[in-house]
Amino acid sequence: MLRYLTKRLMLLVGIVFVISVGSFYLIHLLPGNPATVILGFGATPEAKAILYKQLGLSKPIYLQYFVWLGNILHGNLGVSFISQTTVSSVIRSALPIDGEIIILSQIMAFAAAIPTAMRSARKPDGIIDRVLGATSFTLLSIPPYILIVVLVLFISIKLGVSGTGPSAYVSLGTDWITNLESLSLPAFTLATVSFVVYYRILRSDLIATLQEEFITMARSKGISQRRIMWCHAFRPSSVALLGAASVNIGSLLAAGFVVQYLLQIPGLGYTLILAINESDFLVVQGIVLTVSVLVVAINFFFDFVINMVDPRISRE
Amino acid sequence: MSSFSLEEAELMVEKSEKGEPLGLFFWICVFWIGLNVFGAIFANVLPLPNPLNENFNAINVGPGLHHLFGTDDLGRDIFSRIVYGSRVSITVGIGAILIGFGVGAPLGMLAAYRRGRFDSFLTTIMYVLLAFPAIIATIAVLSFWTPRSLFKIIVVIGVASIPLVYRVIRTATLSVATKDYVIAAKVQGATDRRILMKELLPNIAPIAVSFFLIGVATVITLEGALAFLGLSVNPPTPSWGNMINEARTVLTQNVWLAFFPSLALCLFLIALNFIGDRIRSHFDVTEVKL
Amino acid sequence: MSDDKLLVVRDLTTTFATAGGDLPAVAGVSFDLARNETLGIVGESGSGKTVLSRTIMGLQPRVNTTVTGSSIIDGFEVVGASENEKRTIWGTEVAMVFQDPMTSLNPVMRIGKQIDEALRVRLGMNRKDAKARAIELLELVGIPSPVQRYNAYPGQLSGGMRQRVVIAIALACSPKLLMADEPTTGLDVTIQAQILNLLDELKERLKTSVILVTHDLGVVATRTSRILVMYAGRIVETGTTRDVFYHHRMPYTRALLESSPKVANKSHTRLVTIPGRPPNLLSLSDGCSFAPRCKYATDQCHLVRPELQPSVEPGHTFACWNPLPINAEATLP
Repeated sequence: MLRYLTKRLMLLVGIVFVISVGSFYLIHLLPGNPATVILGFGATPEAKAILYKQLGLSKPIYLQYFVWLGNILHGNLGVSFISQTTVSSVIRSALPIDGEIIILSQIMAFAAAIPTAMRSARKPDGIIDRVLGATSFTLLSIPPYILIVVLVLFISIKLGVSGTGPSAYVSLGTDWITNLESLSLPAFTLATVSFVVYYRILRSDLIATLQEEFITMARSKGISQRRIMWCHAFRPSSVALLGAASVNIGSLLAAGFVVQYLLQIPGLGYTLILAINESDFLVVQGIVLTVSVLVVAINFFFDFVINMVDPRISRE
Repeated sequence: MSSFSLEEAELMVEKSEKGEPLGLFFWICVFWIGLNVFGAIFANVLPLPNPLNENFNAINVGPGLHHLFGTDDLGRDIFSRIVYGSRVSITVGIGAILIGFGVGAPLGMLAAYRRGRFDSFLTTIMYVLLAFPAIIATIAVLSFWTPRSLFKIIVVIGVASIPLVYRVIRTATLSVATKDYVIAAKVQGATDRRILMKELLPNIAPIAVSFFLIGVATVITLEGALAFLGLSVNPPTPSWGNMINEARTVLTQNVWLAFFPSLALCLFLIALNFIGDRIRSHFDVTEVKL
Repeated sequence: MSDDKLLVVRDLTTTFATAGGDLPAVAGVSFDLARNETLGIVGESGSGKTVLSRTIMGLQPRVNTTVTGSSIIDGFEVVGASENEKRTIWGTEVAMVFQDPMTSLNPVMRIGKQIDEALRVRLGMNRKDAKARAIELLELVGIPSPVQRYNAYPGQLSGGMRQRVVIAIALACSPKLLMADEPTTGLDVTIQAQILNLLDELKERLKTSVILVTHDLGVVATRTSRILVMYAGRIVETGTTRDVFYHHRMPYTRALLESSPKVANKSHTRLVTIPGRPPNLLSLSDGCSFAPRCKYATDQCHLVRPELQPSVEPGHTFACWNPLPINAEATLP
C-alpha cells in the first residue's frame, strides 16, 4: 500500500511538472511579443515592467520558466490587466462556486445512479432495465449545453420559477436558499450528465458481480436481497464507478464552464470565458493552471479511495 | 460523453455488453449518418438557399413549406444553415479523431506487440499526458493560439485525443497478441508486418471502429461546447454549436431557432453512439459463444 | 413421513432455459436422507451434481430456471418457496460449503465480517457476541491465531485456509444439513485430506447430516454410508457405499471406479478412461444417456430409457437394461 502510494505520488509530481511547463508555454503561443499582446499597445512602462518581472521576459526562455515558477510557488499568479486585481484573488473568489456546483451535482448523480443501477441489475433485460437503458442512452447523446438551454426555457421562462434563470446568482454567504435556487439548474444539468455515465457503469459491473460465486454464497447464508446488494455486490462493483467519477471530474468542470457562462454565474468558467474574450491572458493562464492541478490532485485522491475500497488493487 | 470527454467514450467502449445482434435500429442509425454525411459533402450542389443570405422580408419565420425549418432573426434559412453547419461539425469530428488514430493507433499496436522497453517508455509518457485534463488543455491552447481556425481546432483536439486512442488500441492489441494463434504465427516465422496486419488488425478492428465512432460523437459535442465558449469557428459561418449558441439569446422570441440545430446535433450523436456501441457488442463474441 | 428423515427429495427436476433450448440439468431425482447420515453424490463433471445440490436447498439461479418436483428439508418444502421463505431455512437448517474457496469468499470483505454476518442477521447476535462466536468458529475449523485472522481479507489466506473459512461460515448457524459441493477440488492433495477429515470430525461433533458431492470416488469411499451415482442429470445407481463399490450393476459406475487411480496399482499402470464424452444435455435421446459410451449397449438401450430397478441388496437400485452380473466382487478394483 505504502509503496503503491509512493509510486503514485512520484507520478503526481511528474504530471504537475508537465502541467506547469504546458501552462507556462501557453503565453508563448500568442503571436508577437507577449508583453504587447497581454497589455495592449497603450500600456504604461510601469505595467510593462511588472509583467516583465512576473514572466521574466527579458531572460532566455528556460530561465523564464523558473522565474515564472518561482512566482507561482509564492502564490503570485500575476495581475489581471483588466480589473487590476491579482489573479489569485480572482480565482479565490470564483473557485468555491465551481466547487459548490460540482458537489451538489455529484450528490444528486450518485443518489440517482446507485438505486437505479441496482434496480436494473436485479432483473437485467426486464422492463425497468430496458426503459432505464434507453433513457440513459438518449441522455448520453444530449450535450449539457443543450440540456441547460432546455431547462432554462421550461423552468425559468415557461414555468417562471424565480431565481433559476440567467444572472440570478446569489452568493452562498448572502442567502443560502436563494443561492441553492440559482445553482439548481446548473447542478441538475451536471448531475444528469454524470448520472448517465455512473448508471451505465455501475449497472454492468453489478450484473457481473451478481453472477459471482460469493454472491451465491451470501444468498446461502439467508441474508436479505437488499443486504446482498449493498454489503456484498456494491463494494466490489464500485471500483469502476469511482474510476469513472475520477475521470469525469475534468470534463465535468468543463461542462460546468459552459453552463455557468450561459447563466452568468461568476464561477471559474464564466471568469475564464470573459478573460478569453477580453484577452486577459494571465487570468486564463492562472485558471488553466489551477484547474489542471486540482483535477490531477482529485484523481490522485480517488486513486487512494479506490485502494481503500478494493484491497486487491494495491496488492497486484 | 455528453460532458464531452473522450475518457468517457473509452469507458463506454469498455463497458458495453457483448454478442448482441445489430437490429433494425442499427441500420436506421447507419442510414441517418449516411444522409447527414451526404448532405455535408454535397451541400453546394443541393438546391439549398445560401446559408449566409440575409432576407429581411422573412425574419423569424416559423417552419413551413417555403423555409422547411423557418428562418432566423436575420432571415437566413435554418435548414440550409443546419446542412452547411454539419460540415464544420463533421469535419472537426472526423478530422480530429483521424489525427488521434493516425498517431495513437500504430503506436498502441506496436507497443503492445513489441512490449519491453519501447512499450513501458511510451506507456509512461501517455499515462502522464492522460492525467492532464485534456479538455482544459484544449480550451487553454485554443484561447491562446490565435487567430483561431478550423484547422487549429482539429489539430488541438486531435493531438489531445492521441493518448486515449493509444491506450484503447494498446489494451485491445494486448489481449489479442497473447493469444495462441498469434504466438503460433510467430513461431512459424511470419514477419512482424504480416502478424500486425493479418492477425492483430482484424481482431482489434471492431473495438477500433467502435471507439472511432464514439470518439467522433464526442468531438462533435466538444466542438459545440467550444462554439459556446466562443472558441470555435467565427460567425457567420454556421456550425451546429454556434447556431445553438446564437439562438440562445432569442430563445423567447423564436424557439425553432434553437430547436432544430439541437435536434440535428442530438440525433446525429445518438446515431453515432448507438452504432459504435452495437458494433462493439456485436463483434466481440469471445466470451459469449462458449 | 417418518421423523428420522431429514430430507425427502421426489422427482426433482431442474431445467435451464438457454439460447439453444431447454436444458434438463437435473431430471427426476428422488432419494431420502436420514438424520446424521452422510450421503455421497458422485458423477463426472457436468453430470448435474452441483445443480442438484443447489436445487435441493433452493439455491439455483434465480433467472431462466424452472424447478419441479419436491425437496422437503425437515418439513419445509423448498420447491416453489419464495426467496424470502427459503431464507428462513438457509444457514440455520441447511448450509453449503462451496467448491472453490478462491471465488466463494467476498474478496473485499474481511473474513471475520463474513462469518459475523450470518450470526448477526440470522441469529440476532450483537456485534460483540458475534465476534466472539466467529473467532470460536475459526478456531473450530482449525485456523491458527483466529483473533488476527478475523481481520484478514480472503486474499491474504491460502486456499486451504480459505476453505476452512468457508466451512466456518456454513457452520455458523449450526445447520442440520450441510451440503458440501466438491469441497476439496480446488485444493492441494495434502490439504484435501485435512479438509475432509475436518468435515468428518465436525459432523460427528455437531450431529449434522452431510451430502458430499464429488467426482472423486476416493473421497466418498470411507466417509459416506450411501452413494448416489449421477449421469446426465439422472441417478443411475444408488446403494450403500459398500454395494456401490463391490456390487455395482451399472456399467457407468464400473467405468467411474476403474478410472480412479488406486494405490494398489503397480506403478506405470495405464489409467482406464471412459471413452467418449458426457452427452449434450440439449439433445438427449429417448434411450439411456450412457448408451453411446457403453460397450454393453444394445438397440434397446438406445431407444428406451431404463428406470431404476432394485438389485438383490436392500436399498440398492440401478438403471440399466444390461446390468453387470450380480456377483461382480471378483473383478473389484
